[in-house]
Formats: sequence, structure tokens, C-alpha cells
Amino acid sequence: MIVADLSYRELEHRLAGPGIRLRTGPVVSRIQSRLPAVVRGISLHYAEYPTEEDESFADFHVRVGRPRNVRRWLQPQAHFFVDGNLPFAPLPLDQAFPMLEWGLNWCVSAHCHQYLIFHGAVVEKSGRALILPAPPGSGKSTLCAGLVNRGWRLLSDELTLIDIASCSVVPLARPVSLKNASIDVIRAFAPGAAIGPAVHDTAKGSVAHMRAPSDSVRRGMETARPGWIVLPRYQAGVAAELTPLSKARGLMQMADNAFNYSAHGRRGFEFLVRFVDQCGCYEFAYGDLEEAGAVFDQLAARA
Amino acid sequence: MLWRAVPDDALAWREWDGEVVVFNRQTGSTHLLGELAGEVLRRLMAADRGATVETLAAGLTADPSEGDDAGWTAAIAEVLSEFARLGLAQPDTS
Repeated sequence: MIVADLSYRELEHRLAGPGIRLRTGPVVSRIQSRLPAVVRGISLHYAEYPTEEDESFADFHVRVGRPRNVRRWLQPQAHFFVDGNLPFAPLPLDQAFPMLEWGLNWCVSAHCHQYLIFHGAVVEKSGRALILPAPPGSGKSTLCAGLVNRGWRLLSDELTLIDIASCSVVPLARPVSLKNASIDVIRAFAPGAAIGPAVHDTAKGSVAHMRAPSDSVRRGMETARPGWIVLPRYQAGVAAELTPLSKARGLMQMADNAFNYSAHGRRGFEFLVRFVDQCGCYEFAYGDLEEAGAVFDQLAARA
Repeated sequence: MLWRAVPDDALAWREWDGEVVVFNRQTGSTHLLGELAGEVLRRLMAADRGATVETLAAGLTADPSEGDDAGWTAAIAEVLSEFARLGLAQPDTS
């Protein structure tokens, strides 16, 4: 069963009641919410995602709701609950859907230590993963959104999960978070992309989510082999240029963007060395998404 | 003054084309070392009883006269001081 098998009304009732058990890659999250923005967001962004049976195991029990204190009358807010706890301060009510997305990311990065987890977008072509490890503001989500609208498969725009046992990159394809100017950039670049309403004045500025392409959702359990580690840097007006980066520096970039690598200790380091050994490492400057797509298509074709 | 690297089992490393990445289990940190620092660490780890700046400086040059060069020993001392800051080596104060 997928979310779209439920009518909007049924989805609303489910989310207000027992919730839906939403599968995103290897993770099942039970989601409950009565908030209209969350229902709309799930209906738009998760329509094609599989759901699990009620009562089946869920990794995380998540609820986005309104506080019961007086602030709800004065300044409407949303709380993110996971397993009955409140890991974050509340946010303005209109940020409820982005809050769900950020909260789901946090659930994975803070708990799924069976994987090595890195802050970075990851896409796939011909079975090989292109990892874009980078801090916010580097243009990685924009580049990721551009590539998945030009034939690359989305594995994640935010969290790169690497399975230590199989040395493969595990998909966690969820909506792509677009910020500020990149919202209009992607609207113009991919007019067919489903992009939800922009939410303004968040901690990250204006945020809008782009629905993951259908193919990425359908192939949500298909892992990818190590391919490339690329440090993106958007710079208006520059020609796309891919510059080789040493493997040592590629590893350091991964380590600097890791959530839980040091928690794996020496084993994590030794694994990361093996992983980087199998990747090409590059820096990439770009000013135009179409050019960027052509560069990465050539890179994939040479592999 | 003798310098000692942290115990062998606290460090894991890998060299690619002269650049070394080293993981320090005691701190959980990973560091990128250039060619000289990588070689100093390798020699320090191999020196069971530790090594002085002068020994390291002499051992790292093929020309014995360069081992006494003040600039060269200062460069090695700087590497060791950086190791101390990163928790990769410590002066033996005993």
C-alpha cells in the first residue's frame, strides 16, 4: 500500500488517529498530526511512498502537534514529538511541515548508528553514488535538485547513509529542501517538479520542499556502490569545473561532515579509508545547473 | 627532551601520495598531515624509547650537516608542538 491509496480525508483521519507508518528507505516512521499543513505536506510529498501495516514495527513514533499551553492562543506554535519526547523548542505553526522534515532527519542522524552518517546530498547513476558532502550554503541541495531533475536518482539531499557491512550507500529519498534563491532557481530549471509552498522566516530563511522523483521513491531500497565524493561550491557566473582532490582531503571532508563517524572509533576510520579508496574525489565549482548536469553525466559515462 | 607518540593502538592511519590521514582513538579526531609531519609521526611511533628533536632532524635528512641546521630543527620542533596540541605525541617530562 502507498499513501496515495488513501483519500485526502482518509489520510487526514489516519494522521489524526493511529497515524501512518511511512517507509522511507530502511526507516519506518509512525507519523501522527492533526495540523493541516502537515497533512497537506504528506499528501503532496509522500503520496507514492509505501506504508506499513498498523501495529507493525516503527523505528520512530513521531507526532507534530500544537502545545497545550496558553501560547497556542497568543502565538500559534508546533511541537515535534518523537517517542513521546520533545527534542526541540517549538517553532511557529506555519513551519510545521519543515519541522517534521528536520525532525525526521534528526531521528536518523541521532539514532541510526548501524550506518556511518554524513551531512551530504547523494545521488546515483549507473549504480554508483555521487556524494556531495558540504555544510549549509554550499549549494549542495540546489545541485542535488538539479541532478535529480536530469536523470540522476535521489538517495538523499541531506543524509548520506553508508552501510558498513556491504560498503554501499543506502537510500533515504525524501523531499529535497530548497532554500531562499534556490527555490526559484529550481522552479525555473525544472518547471515540472512538484514544489510545495515556501515557508518564510525559518532558521534557514525561506524553505520549500521539492517532491522526490517517482523513480527515486520506487527504488527506495536499492543501494548504490561508492562512486564519487565531490565538494560543490556555487558561484554565480563561473563555468562548471571539476578539479581532482586528493583522497586524503576527500576523507577529511567526509570526516568533517560526519554525524557519527567518531562514535564508530577505529573501525569507522578504517571503513572510511576503504570507502574513499573506491571513490574519485573532486572539488566542483559551478554557476549553472545545466552545465553542472553535463559535467556529471560525463563523469558517470567515464566510470 | 624526549618526545613520545601516543600508544600504537591509539592511532590508525593511511597514506595517499605523501599525505597522511591519522585517526586518534583517544580523542576521536582525524587529522590530515603533510609529508613531513607524516614522516615525523611514523619515526616517533617506531622509536620505542621516544626521540629528541635533534634525533628526528638528523634522521630525516640524508646530509648529516643539515641535521644541525637551526631552521630545520625548528621546523621539526614545530611539528612536534602541533602533535602535542592534537594529542598525537607528548614530551616525556619524567
